[in-house]
Amino acid sequence: MRIQFIAIVLIQALLLAGMIAYKQYWLARGERILLRTVPVDPRDIFRGDYVQLRYEITNLDLDKLNANESFNTGEKIYIILEKDSDGTYKAVSVSKIPLTDKKFIQGKVTYAMPKPAQWELVFTDTASGIKYKKVIGYEPGETKGDFFEACLDKTGNITAYGSGHYDCGKDKTINITVDEVKNITGLGAINVEYGIESYFVEEGKGKVIETARNARKLKVEVALEADGKGIITGLFMDGVLIK
Amino acid sequence: MSSKEKEFDFFQKLQQEIETWLREGLISQEQKTKILSRYKLISEVEKKAGPGKLITTITILGSILIGIGVILFIAANWSEIPRWGKLFIIFSSMLISYGLGFYLRYEKANYPKVGASLIFLGSLLFGAGIFLIAQIYHIQAHYPNGPLLWGLGVLPLAYLLRLKTILSLAVIDLLIWLGLESSSQISFIESRGPMPFITLYLMTGISLWATGLMHKGFESLKTISAPYIACGLVVTFSSGYILTFDVFRGTFGSKDFIPFYIGIVALFSMASILYAFSEEKEKSWFVETCSLTFFIVSVFLLSLIYRDSPLHAESSAFTKTALLISNIIFALGVIGIIFLGYIRRSSAYINIGLLFFVLDVVARYFDFFWKLLPRSLFFIVGGILLLSGGVFLERKRRKIIASFHMEYVSQ
Repeated sequence: MRIQFIAIVLIQALLLAGMIAYKQYWLARGERILLRTVPVDPRDIFRGDYVQLRYEITNLDLDKLNANESFNTGEKIYIILEKDSDGTYKAVSVSKIPLTDKKFIQGKVTYAMPKPAQWELVFTDTASGIKYKKVIGYEPGETKGDFFEACLDKTGNITAYGSGHYDCGKDKTINITVDEVKNITGLGAINVEYGIESYFVEEGKGKVIETARNARKLKVEVALEADGKGIITGLFMDGVLIK
Repeated sequence: MSSKEKEFDFFQKLQQEIETWLREGLISQEQKTKILSRYKLISEVEKKAGPGKLITTITILGSILIGIGVILFIAANWSEIPRWGKLFIIFSSMLISYGLGFYLRYEKANYPKVGASLIFLGSLLFGAGIFLIAQIYHIQAHYPNGPLLWGLGVLPLAYLLRLKTILSLAVIDLLIWLGLESSSQISFIESRGPMPFITLYLMTGISLWATGLMHKGFESLKTISAPYIACGLVVTFSSGYILTFDVFRGTFGSKDFIPFYIGIVALFSMASILYAFSEEKEKSWFVETCSLTFFIVSVFLLSLIYRDSPLHAESSAFTKTALLISNIIFALGVIGIIFLGYIRRSSAYINIGLLFFVLDVVARYFDFFWKLLPRSLFFIVGGILLLSGGVFLERKRRKIIASFHMEYVSQ
């Protein structure tokens, strides 16, 4: 039993040593990037004193990044980064697989906020040939080629249409055909966690950093492992490294 | 149980028995002294280590205090101590604690209980080490892999040394991991409400319970069945208790939890099959195992069926019926384990059963009478009911547990 006991204790010690060695290896070898932080609500108090960090790349608008796929909560995500003029890195696109030829950081989607559904209908005025667009929040029953009578207001918007006769009041009555029906719902925004959201400091020393963070003066240096996982290597407040 | 511990247990029982033999005139005073002197060595160790239960409790508490102290020390994160200094403190204290504990319990074997507690302290320091390293490298505060690594790291030790304390630690670590990991997997947009977590823990509780029963079935694992059964019962009945309230909103399960469901049901199936083939099964084991199977399968299927569509989308009669059924099942479950506890003479079953019986009565009292009675009367009647109920239950509990001892003596 003695040998088995020693073996298990050694495995435990090796697990701890392995954790240290792995992180140290990537601290020494990994590429380093600088990220800009954004303000967050005050810290919680679970484990000692630490500063909660949020980055510009924490909340991403998939439509602005021209993403072509949506993401689910809990899904792995790779953010392609590019250096900005001030030396920090910003997100330029996202991917579900790592792209080895580009600089990327790995994260996990913690929250996916889909945009409400949007459909665009394009109509053509049968008399004048002028095209009109209308955006609606549900999937329309109309299909291409349908014929309607519609009301056109002074600003050139179609206010109502239908297969029967409409009393358009002050608005003009025109005849239209459906030219195109397309789904233009956006991909929405996602919240990404990179595992670099906590910076541990000595008890009671977090306040200064939090103030700087909330004034957007804080930048974080991160070492990247081969698979894009980040490790915080240092904090820069007004360009000065905090130890 | 280690051979040393078995000897201790035997010696304690022998001492009690000898008194009875003496009273009944089976042996003389002289024979008593002769018999006891055969076990003099053990009695000396016993004297040094103090009376069993008390010394175990005190030393475990001591270990927990030191463990908390070390964790707080690390949490304070003083910059005066360099990184390697902190790591050195953790590594050396863990190894010393393990080494000294093993020496006192097995090598020198003169302080087995203190030794066991020191080994337990070693397991706590291993966990502290994980969190210290996470802190040094600024690995996030909400870090599910921490408890997972801690639990899996100490689990082999619990089995090798057959230590209930370490096994309890491992089970609690893994339960915490389950909560952290599952909440990081779920997408809140799709499944609002706490239901998926309650059903996940309900299944986990039943699975742990079955695992405990399986351990009881094998002579070599019997000594470490208690942590599984106790944790299983508490988790199962706590989750079931929540389901007796009007919480049937949102989805019942979640598609994000399917990997967990599969793991939990697999653990349950394995444990139950092994238990069915085990050497010794307890009274009414078949009824117990079948009921557990029925419940875990029902919860599993309901979680799969209602993983996308919210329950409140169904008619209000549906949620009302679901609430009524879960209340009936909970009440039957409570009565069931009290009954099982009685026929098996298991004080754990009876105590946990009575605890949830009281909780259920209190909750239903609130449900039904809050609106009906004037507030002052509500509190006074509630108080009187609780007090008299307490007296009744306390007497009942004592009677039942005392009857075990009496039966034991009279056998």
